[in-house]
Amino acid sequence: MANVKGSSVCRTAVDEGKPADWVPGGEKQTVVDPMKMFHELPREMQFITGSEAARESMRRANIDIAIAYPITPQSESMQQAGYLYDEGYIKEYYRAEEEIGTFSAISGASRAGVRALTATSGPGLMRGMEAVSSWPGARTPIIMLNMCRVINTPLAIQPDNIEMSFLLNTGILLLHAENQQDFYDYPLAAIMASEQVDVTLPAVVSVDGFFCTHARGPVRITPEEYKLPPRDGWRSAVPAMDNENPPARISRDAPIQKSNFISYHMHASWQQEVFAAVERSAKYFDKYLGGLVEVINPDAEDFIIASGCAVSQAREAVRQEGEQGRIVGLVKVKTIRPFPTTSILNAVKNAKRILIPEFNQAGWLHKEVCSVLYGRCNAVIKDGPRVFGGMTMPTEMILEWLEEFRKETK
Amino acid sequence: MLIQDNLLLTRSNPSGNGGIQFLYRVKDYGLTAISGPQEEISMIHWEVEVVKYQNPKTAEFEVCHTTELADKTLKFYSDKSLNEFLQKSFQYFEELDSLEKMLPEES
Repeated sequence: MANVKGSSVCRTAVDEGKPADWVPGGEKQTVVDPMKMFHELPREMQFITGSEAARESMRRANIDIAIAYPITPQSESMQQAGYLYDEGYIKEYYRAEEEIGTFSAISGASRAGVRALTATSGPGLMRGMEAVSSWPGARTPIIMLNMCRVINTPLAIQPDNIEMSFLLNTGILLLHAENQQDFYDYPLAAIMASEQVDVTLPAVVSVDGFFCTHARGPVRITPEEYKLPPRDGWRSAVPAMDNENPPARISRDAPIQKSNFISYHMHASWQQEVFAAVERSAKYFDKYLGGLVEVINPDAEDFIIASGCAVSQAREAVRQEGEQGRIVGLVKVKTIRPFPTTSILNAVKNAKRILIPEFNQAGWLHKEVCSVLYGRCNAVIKDGPRVFGGMTMPTEMILEWLEEFRKETK
Repeated sequence: MLIQDNLLLTRSNPSGNGGIQFLYRVKDYGLTAISGPQEEISMIHWEVEVVKYQNPKTAEFEVCHTTELADKTLKFYSDKSLNEFLQKSFQYFEELDSLEKMLPEES
């Protein structure tokens, strides 16, 4: 069997059941500067689901390996990833045995220096949390797509993003996509930020499942003949494992694994460095995404701060308030980690009332905002409306909360 | 993709069920087209209502099941079929507006 013409991987045309002269799709793409891809290339409007938007993002992401275990509502996106593997845009792809295996295997792939992608939803993320929480310390720039769903009992498969709260203190970069467009743009930006030498951390792009993944929306995409530069495994905060010269050194530094006095210091300084790296990633997201937040009506006294699908509902509430002659501001939080403290402080400096609608029971965004605004802002901050377990958040609900808020806080 | 002529507003489905809503307007009448999430991509469709706007300056409307276009919620399973319906309805709304102006105003 002859190797596929021009391919850098071991797939052969015969293996794949393709014509002998088959060339993987990825081999036909041209590498482009990330800033050019994000801001300069022409874009074509398509009306596609969030899962299809994820596929188009993956097509342009120059992914070496994808590993996943299916779970609703993630399955559709990774089915799309299967098509990309078949077309030769993802070099290796397999379904692991379950999430602990998935997230352990993807960690190994990333440590070996290749660009690695996985995806999951709610309970799948919970099952694999032990492995996931080890990723940042291992300095593995894995990209994970996270289609949020209910994790708590009673069982449901509906949208609810409480699972994001479990990622807040892991040292992982965390983005929250509002819509299908974000679910196309954010993974590409997250890959490039996560692989910077002074970052070298895993990145999770969360999206509210079903509302985005299984519904169509307008997405402006770049030409498919362009892809991101490949990952350079040696250009990172820690060296990649040399898998061609076994035994590979699994531990980053042997003393960390020993229970002696030095290891405590090493662990502490190692973790401090991880969280410092999270903060250093902000400058990359700022230029890739055009800011860590989006602000509408910056001079307003009433503000809504939201992330994910709650932003879309808040946008419409802001529009309807405008029709009634009332100016309401909106802060869309794009990056949850790094948390855009300074951007939010600047945005709400004139605010008197801040409402924080969320699709989860915990109110994690409210807690985050309170922790950074405490003592630095005169606004009253109200946590709600808050829906979960698959409940919907009609625009009217936000409007009613705003009206009530104005009565409570003059 | 749906046609952009007479498109008044594109917004997330205000019911909060996910998906997107397109609002079209010709004079006082128009259409709303909602595409919501479905379990399978092949099941995704448009739910369309004929509407009558309540205010010339805002997007407030009421569902209108009394025109000759539709007396119920319509479903379209492709952008192409909905676009054809949109084109016909725009023409109908223009004519309807002309006819309504010919009617004597209610005292």
